[in-house]
Amino acid sequence: MAEYIKYVDVTKCDGCRACMVACKNWNDLPAEPEEFQGSVQSHANVTANTWNVLSFIEHEDSKGNLDYLFRHSSCFHCTDAACVKVCPEEAMHYTDFGSVNVDSDKCVGCGYCVQNCPFDVVQLATYKDKNGKEYKKAQKCTMCVDRLEEGMQPACVTTCHTDAMEFGTQEEMLKKAKKRLSEIKDKYPNAMIYNPEGVGGTHTIYVLAEKPSVYGLPEKPKVPTSAVVWKDYAQPIGKMMLGATSMALVGAFVSNKLFNKEGKGHEEDGGGSHE
Amino acid sequence: MSNTQYSGVKVKRFSMGFVIAHAVNAISFFALYITALPMYTEWFDWLYPVLGGPEGARLLHRIFAIAFVTPTFIWLIMDPKGFLRWGKELVTWKKRDIQFFTEFVKELFGFKFKHVKQTFFNAGEKINSLIQIATAILIIGSGFPMWFPDLFPKAVVQWAYVAHNVGFGLAIAVVVGHIYLSVIHKNSRPGYTGVITGDVPAEWAKDHYTEWYEEEVEKGNFPDLDKNKNKKKGA
Repeated sequence: MAEYIKYVDVTKCDGCRACMVACKNWNDLPAEPEEFQGSVQSHANVTANTWNVLSFIEHEDSKGNLDYLFRHSSCFHCTDAACVKVCPEEAMHYTDFGSVNVDSDKCVGCGYCVQNCPFDVVQLATYKDKNGKEYKKAQKCTMCVDRLEEGMQPACVTTCHTDAMEFGTQEEMLKKAKKRLSEIKDKYPNAMIYNPEGVGGTHTIYVLAEKPSVYGLPEKPKVPTSAVVWKDYAQPIGKMMLGATSMALVGAFVSNKLFNKEGKGHEEDGGGSHE
Repeated sequence: MSNTQYSGVKVKRFSMGFVIAHAVNAISFFALYITALPMYTEWFDWLYPVLGGPEGARLLHRIFAIAFVTPTFIWLIMDPKGFLRWGKELVTWKKRDIQFFTEFVKELFGFKFKHVKQTFFNAGEKINSLIQIATAILIIGSGFPMWFPDLFPKAVVQWAYVAHNVGFGLAIAVVVGHIYLSVIHKNSRPGYTGVITGDVPAEWAKDHYTEWYEEEVEKGNFPDLDKNKNKKKGA
């Protein structure tokens, strides 16, 4: 199946926040009343129950003019996702559309994904079962996979009235992003396509008007080196070592049976031989 | 068991402090191992229901994590002299310690070997101790950022997962050998009862830890087996 991308052109966004509402609505996410953030922005960041937050950034451009920048923020759906790499239960997985999802039945709420996401997108939601026992599950934007499976588009994309968001095949969306970049370069000299290589590219790509750091995004995000060392080296070597010592001891046991039948083995420097 | 071949004379090898500290260390290590297994590999996911779900496993892991930190203090408080001797022996390495290993490999696989005179802890036990100390530091040190991620920078938490894994991988590999020697390997087996009761057969102690045994004989704490043997022969 072809891979699909959500394309976000922040320069077309007017900060209406309909995408936030549509996301909450479609995914049945509870409201999270927040303290005043000091701006029009409602939540500081995405959370386990708010998968989609509109950031409002007051930015002084190179000419000293105030620019009010908006960004729809949600999961980036990395091609090489750190959360998928570190998940011990294979709860984090890639979908047929190329996006990244959580299988809630498999998730044990360990939080490894939370600690390793380079974008701070994944969070743990706390639930209570019928006995009142609390448990946690990782939650984040699903790219509305349930809608995609029915041939629909993500709720946020459908609701965007300025066409700042579009959803389509990788090829088509990348082409669109490049075209748009060339159109806005005069107005925004720092404009760029945000599709970071350090995570193998993402399935939510942006045309940003300014540098990523202006939007609170890492300039060069990557799968943490620690995650690579841990999952690709330490864990397999650990399993191998346990196997190797076990095999050495099985060898020692067998060899003892073969060569040390009387249960004796050592020579004394004077004195009798005994165990 | 091979105890029957000994004269029956027992000597005190381990203090109560050591016995308790060793038991707490062993029990908590295995409890930590079992409660972490389903998180380490999916083959052991069937353990989750046994442990009370992921939440139960996590709670137990944390309870035993606290227990795992205590043995050092138990031993230090109950038997400071023994603890200090351990520390001293760990940093003292002589030619005999290297010789020990060449003979030990023969002993391990059941071939003829010679006893190389050892002190209270033989070179193998010293290596085991050093690796266990290093891995315990890795495991406990990394456990804190994993338990309280909010108190540490993100990079520290991320590397803590690696350290926890490496520490555990090394520790379990060494523990497998340690247990094999104590429970299955014939020549070392009296050490296993010793670590539970504190006492070991005198002859075995003399063979395996000759220098220490002779020191204790000089102090008048242990019977002089050679003297007894000569007496028997003379009688």
